[in-house]
Amino acid sequence: MKGGGLRSPASAAASLVVPLVLVGLTVAVGASGTPSFEDTVTMALCNLIVVLGLQVFIGNSGVYSFGQLGFAASGAYAAALLTIPAAFTALQTPDLPSLVADAQLSPLPSTLIAAAASGLLAAVVGWPLMRTSTLAIPISTFAFLIVAYNVLANWDAVTGGNSGLVSIPRTTGVASAGIWAAAAVVVALAFKWSAAGYRLQATREDEVAARSIGIGLMRERLLAFTLSGTLCGIGGALAVHQSGTLSPSTFYFAASVTTITMLVVGGARSVFGAVVGTLAVATVNELLRNLEEGAHVLGLFSIGETPGLAAIGLGLILLVTMVALPQGLSRGLEAGEVGGLRRRLRSRALPTPPPAETEQPGLRPVGGPAGGLRAARVSLAFSGLQVLRGVDLELAPGEALGLIGPNGAGKTTLVNVLSGFQAPDSGSVLLDGTSVTGWSPARLARAGLGRTFQAALPFAGLTVVESVAVGAMGVGVGRRRAVGVAAGVLERLGLDKQAQSPAGLRPPGDQRLLGIARALATGPRYLLLDEPAAGLNDEERRDLVAILRGVRQDFGCAILLIEHDMNVVMDLCSRVQVLDDGKTVLVGAPEEVQAHPAVVEAYLGTSYLEGAHA
Amino acid sequence: MTDLAQSLIDALALGGLYALIAVGVTLIYTVMGMMNFAQGEFIMLPAYALYVLAGLPFAIAVGGALATGVAIAVLAERVAFRPVRNADLSAQLVTSLAVATILQNVVSASVDARAQSVATPPLVSESSQIGALSVPNLEILTLVLTAIVLGGLGWLLYRTRIGLEMRAAAENFEMARLLGVRANRVVAIAFAISGVLAAAVGVLIVMQTGQVSPTMGLTPVLVGFIAVVIGGFGRISGAVVGGLVLGMASSLLGAYLPDGLVPFRDAIVFSLPVAILLVRPQGLLGPATGEARRI
Repeated sequence: MKGGGLRSPASAAASLVVPLVLVGLTVAVGASGTPSFEDTVTMALCNLIVVLGLQVFIGNSGVYSFGQLGFAASGAYAAALLTIPAAFTALQTPDLPSLVADAQLSPLPSTLIAAAASGLLAAVVGWPLMRTSTLAIPISTFAFLIVAYNVLANWDAVTGGNSGLVSIPRTTGVASAGIWAAAAVVVALAFKWSAAGYRLQATREDEVAARSIGIGLMRERLLAFTLSGTLCGIGGALAVHQSGTLSPSTFYFAASVTTITMLVVGGARSVFGAVVGTLAVATVNELLRNLEEGAHVLGLFSIGETPGLAAIGLGLILLVTMVALPQGLSRGLEAGEVGGLRRRLRSRALPTPPPAETEQPGLRPVGGPAGGLRAARVSLAFSGLQVLRGVDLELAPGEALGLIGPNGAGKTTLVNVLSGFQAPDSGSVLLDGTSVTGWSPARLARAGLGRTFQAALPFAGLTVVESVAVGAMGVGVGRRRAVGVAAGVLERLGLDKQAQSPAGLRPPGDQRLLGIARALATGPRYLLLDEPAAGLNDEERRDLVAILRGVRQDFGCAILLIEHDMNVVMDLCSRVQVLDDGKTVLVGAPEEVQAHPAVVEAYLGTSYLEGAHA
Repeated sequence: MTDLAQSLIDALALGGLYALIAVGVTLIYTVMGMMNFAQGEFIMLPAYALYVLAGLPFAIAVGGALATGVAIAVLAERVAFRPVRNADLSAQLVTSLAVATILQNVVSASVDARAQSVATPPLVSESSQIGALSVPNLEILTLVLTAIVLGGLGWLLYRTRIGLEMRAAAENFEMARLLGVRANRVVAIAFAISGVLAAAVGVLIVMQTGQVSPTMGLTPVLVGFIAVVIGGFGRISGAVVGGLVLGMASSLLGAYLPDGLVPFRDAIVFSLPVAILLVRPQGLLGPATGEARRI
């Protein structure tokens, strides 16, 4: 599992090996203790698999799901029912279909079937849940947890209802739990570093920017949700084969709080954090559990039997973490990225792959005579305020068109309509002769339309090279090729020296260029730039003009440029369209437009004209 | 006909209770953008106040419950939520989950993890004859209380200075602050009001069920969350509508579902919101577009 140019091989190896070593040490410690201690450690490893499942979804999407324990429950019930000896099945769940009732599988096939069943359930449940908004997902997944509990507790014929199931073979040992946990570590890291993983992380950093580079929010979330459910199902299946008993409350609210605490304490964004957090919290939890049964502390004072103590401790740990260390013990970094190790590895890191590996973004064939991006009679009102009044716009392949006008003229709204972020009330948008009115921003990006925003909207948690490569991944380019594309674009824009630094820590000018680089990595044929020079100093502005002129030649894409600085517009554009109060005032050559009285009026006000005549 | 009328009154009473819960959740969401898991514990602790004060006259016990609700809400805000006031929604949600866990288990450890029964005044468990209908006094009380509380809240929000400040803070916290709204005071008052609402809900639930348990707040808080989501985030009116819809759906399903499905009523009720969100992602009363403002 090499980083493929997104990180140094040494860093990647450390990120993989350190968590695996931690799992190995845990197994060794567990195997050397008493049988009851071994059981405790085995259960901690089962928890780790569930926590890694949570990491896959929560860590990469940044959205909390409180329902993943429902998939641990489904895995546990599936595994239990498939392995309980038929004689006991008849007593506990008399109405179970005979295919399942008579089944008495060995541990491996039952765990695999449980994993598949939980993954399938997660895909089916996730399909509607992932369509709800980012705000609603924590709540709708919490609702799913309660629905799952309600069904498990009342579907007596299949689940044994509230009394649950017993006589489940206890086949999970510390070694087998360790092997599964190690596999889960590899899966979670592989996902995080895959193109799908990067696309999901991009949505975590900025939903709007992610959609503008072709990323379908629901699709990416559903994929991770399904993988997460599969891992949770494996954790649940192994756990039930450790404890030997199962009831609807086994994987309910308390277990949700425990596993979320483990994830948050370690740091949700990293697999390393999930491992560290699980081990730390499991250790503290076990100590507190012993205290619950009454203990003498250092022989000084004694504590009576106090149920609930462990849970209070858990809550306090969670609270302190959120207040004092919101990124968790790992600070959200993988093992190969932490502290001194990171610095040492970075000195050996390649900034970007050698030039031989760079490649042009995948340019699509330019359309024929019908080619071009066209808006026809587009109108749009926001709650009564008419922003666009029948605007036409035409951007021919390869040309550079300036879009100017006073504040509130409707320039950004027009770009939002062209790029699919806003549906027009009437009128249509055509891309190379095809009507694309009503297409999603992501679909338009995949069809060759790139854009930037007035704000830089950086993917702050990713590195510079990652945040550009994800642009290519967004339109379906594989990870390895995406890295090559990013290297080429960064080199072209003069950002290649900063490739490995976090995008969120770059100065504003770089972040603005990064927005353009990210859009270029999607291989657009039409690039819409919304005030790219805003906030830049004179020198940066000159550089930007040079870069944009080069970009047009090298990448062959047409540019629509919203800009207030007339010098930038004059330098770059062969045609200029003037918008005022939602209507096109004028389209023409730059000199013609600059001299036109209407433009002078719109920009400088009529009083200026009157003053000039007086 | 009377059956239907009876069912509708039952439904309205449950809807009213759910609306109270949802308004308590929304109030905190609007002033600090936090979905508060601990709202369930703001309901549970006042209920335990009733249990602890069981020997005293009922009116005094209720007073104690309301005071408990205010105290715990204000304390939780000061100790736990103020430090994460500017954190993102996920961080705040997890923080409130921590507070909920702590409060729940403090009660488990100090009282008992199992449910305890609480005696309620006999008047509450009787019914009144209204025309051909026999309406439980508790339902009448719930409906009257809901109307009074919502009316009072409306008056507070739209007719007083502190209400204006709260609405301003809900609209744009930083701007309100710059214009001289004292943020800490507004947030503390929102929590205090939310605590009163939660305490009222706790008292009503105790009167209905006659018992208290450490986890009794779990279902109400989910109900509150869902009502807020289906009503459209951050609108008091949406919370009322969401609560009414959810409560009435739950009550009517209980009355009219075939016997075999009755145990699964909660599963059906809690699946409903997802169906609503699929059709209207912004909720029933939410704004039509939330995106245009950001770009």
